Amino acid sequence: MNPLDDKMRWLEKAGDVDAKAPQEMHGLLVEFDSPETLLDACRKVRDAGYTKWDALTPFPVHGIDEAMGIRMTILPWLALGAGLTGLAIAFGLQIFTNGIDYPFLVSGKPLISVPAQIPVAFELTVLFAAFTTFFGMLVLNFLPEVFHPLFRAKRFPRMTADRFGIYIEAKDPLFNRQQAELLFTRLGATGVEPVLSRTGRAPMPVMIHGVGLTLTLLALIPPALIVKSRYSKSDKPRIHIIQDMDFQERYKTQSAHPLLPRGAASMEPVAGTIARGELNEDDHMYRGMAGDEFVRGFPMALTESVLNRGQRQFAIYCAPCHGLTGVGDGPIARRADRLAEGTWVAPTSFHTELVLEQAEGQIFHTITNGVRTMKPYAAQIEVADRWAIVAYVRALQRSQRASIDDVPPDIRAQLAQ
Amino acid sequence: MTPPPSAASDPMQHASTAPLKVEQVTLSGSTMGLAPKMMLLGLVTLGAGLLLDLVAGPKGLYHFAHAYLLGYFFCLTIALGALIFVCLQRLTKAGWSVVIRRLAELIASTMPALAILAIPVLVFMHQLYPWTHAELVENDAILLGKQAYLNMPFFIGRVAVYFAVWIWIARKMLTLSLRQDESGDVELTRKAERLSAPAVILFALTVTFAGFDLLMSLDPHWFSTIYGVYVFAGSMVGFLSVAILGVKFLQSRGVLRDVVTVEHFHDLGKLLFGFTMFWGYIAFSQFMLIWYANIPEETIWFEHRMSHGWGWVSLILLFGHFVIPFGGLLSRHVKRDARGLVFWAAWQLVMHLVDIYWLIMPALNLAHGKVGAPGYAPALHAGFPLHVLDVLAVVGFGALFVGLVMRSMRGVNLVPLKDPRLAEARGFHNF
Repeated sequence: MNPLDDKMRWLEKAGDVDAKAPQEMHGLLVEFDSPETLLDACRKVRDAGYTKWDALTPFPVHGIDEAMGIRMTILPWLALGAGLTGLAIAFGLQIFTNGIDYPFLVSGKPLISVPAQIPVAFELTVLFAAFTTFFGMLVLNFLPEVFHPLFRAKRFPRMTADRFGIYIEAKDPLFNRQQAELLFTRLGATGVEPVLSRTGRAPMPVMIHGVGLTLTLLALIPPALIVKSRYSKSDKPRIHIIQDMDFQERYKTQSAHPLLPRGAASMEPVAGTIARGELNEDDHMYRGMAGDEFVRGFPMALTESVLNRGQRQFAIYCAPCHGLTGVGDGPIARRADRLAEGTWVAPTSFHTELVLEQAEGQIFHTITNGVRTMKPYAAQIEVADRWAIVAYVRALQRSQRASIDDVPPDIRAQLAQ
Repeated sequence: MTPPPSAASDPMQHASTAPLKVEQVTLSGSTMGLAPKMMLLGLVTLGAGLLLDLVAGPKGLYHFAHAYLLGYFFCLTIALGALIFVCLQRLTKAGWSVVIRRLAELIASTMPALAILAIPVLVFMHQLYPWTHAELVENDAILLGKQAYLNMPFFIGRVAVYFAVWIWIARKMLTLSLRQDESGDVELTRKAERLSAPAVILFALTVTFAGFDLLMSLDPHWFSTIYGVYVFAGSMVGFLSVAILGVKFLQSRGVLRDVVTVEHFHDLGKLLFGFTMFWGYIAFSQFMLIWYANIPEETIWFEHRMSHGWGWVSLILLFGHFVIPFGGLLSRHVKRDARGLVFWAAWQLVMHLVDIYWLIMPALNLAHGKVGAPGYAPALHAGFPLHVLDVLAVVGFGALFVGLVMRSMRGVNLVPLKDPRLAEARGFHNF
């Protein structure tokens, strides 16, 4: 089955229907059998001064732009303009939303931070330029073309396969059928066909009105629902669109369960077992306690590496408020002072009698559970690191109250000088 | 239905289908005479550099090693770009590029000479690569961890494998193409196309690891997985610039005239534009992730390149290697204009050199004591070490490389005369 034959049969049927309406001359289709004769004819048509005409070829023909006198398209300029617009919008949006309208620090970067904005700027530049190129191409070519009288011409289908054509519209001011036919016969045309179209606009089929009206009404329903829910009150819970995420098939903590002991979904650990990582038997190590008293002394040996570790952890977790020397002059405390924050409780100096007299266990307890406005650090700092910090705090305290006895004997002489 | 005609013949393109004359295809003797002169100039210049640094004492040797690597790697990237260009054209069964492919094949065929020229890099390993110093590695947990990969025997073995792969691909591609000049056998084209697919995979792996080994390990603490892609992107920019300038030079000598037309230059320009964009994309991808995560062990590499005067070089790269040529090459008219395209190709070639300089030379600061191992190397330059040695190395290697490429043109057609796609290439037309 030849698809071209199909097309021809369809054309004959369509022509029969259309033939009942009054017809008028729409243009003249001229057929050529080689791209060379077509190019030659195009030059002649161009030079003759025709304006409303086009060439039809089954594949791109080199040099036809020049032969037809088609100027360079403005599409590249549109794409450039759109790309720059996208770039400007991307930067503008990010600068305005994140830097001006709602200043929001991300990862400690500046509010208006160009490197972070480049990916969005790049994508938006490409998006705008690509859309403009694609849709601009369609618009500049008057596409998509749903119907054109040429589609009914007998010779037109072969111009998508192995024939070439020139179509001159009757609207062209220079259009004269006899003259044109004469010109093209001289130029080696293998056929000339007048193309007719019905006069005036064809009436729209009634069905289209009905379908259009129905679709329009249906399209109004979702926005109407949205408007309704925005401006009405309801005591019903909201609609759960993703049901299996909102209501998962599991038992929540504290909920009831008919089959389990105690009738509760949560079960107690098996008697005599301890969960992994919770065997914190050593009261001294894990709680800083001996019985009901805070313990004095450390659960581990104090080595240089422990103190170094303590110094680093102290600088990370404690120094922001307590300051690097522990007098309570960290940057946060200083800022709070500067802003005269009413609710601020100044961080305790480690060099007060209060802290000096505290047992090591109590300092550990303070780090673990927090005190006053200081929050607990158990989640951030490991147990061994907490003890290392306690050791470093002791070292800090000693540094402020050092006597000559603290200096190793062999370098006392140096200090004396 | 009548079958549609297979192709449109363009009445304006008769010139391109005219039979090729000998002077369009082979380099004349007088031009060939330049080849040994260029090579001599290159070797003398490199020798002068070596002498100069020997006079300067042990410190000079450090600088010479880095300058040598600069000139060497610059030429290597161009040859690598040519190699992947050939493979890509074969892989995509490209028609347009047939008239340029032989030049790329010849540039890639300098690979054996480049392998020999890699030997000094191995000789200067102690001056270049901190991880070759046992006493430094011992005291460095990171280097100890990398020792399984960064050790001298494995390193030398890897470099040998890279060159074996590159030489094999380059030679295979060139001989297949040259044999076709005589027999005209279409099967040779198919063979090259079949070879190109595994060749591209091998190329990707070897170039990635060569980048890691030869350049990234200059600063052995630092790592970036995108580094190999970055080297590849720069290589393509370098090669495409050389291809444009090279064809223009050959045409000034009568070769490839009326064979490589404005249409082919337009396509080379498009590729240069595309890879300029690609380089910018990759360079920024590498920068942004490191900048955003802000982890000291990663940011240190950029810190070295954004302080002590290097910030200016970084800015020159950002604007000179990407922003300005992006605008310059954007227009179709520039890519189709001989002078415009030559200007931007020369510009990008210089920028590619700056890029390699920027990759290698900050490591010289590092070598001179920044890693801080006792006895590793004396501090020579703090900051920006531009030196006459760098100029000598680049000029020397440039002349040597041009001489090598010209020498490979002896007795060889610069157009694959019996390539089945030659007619397509000569009639090629951009819309």
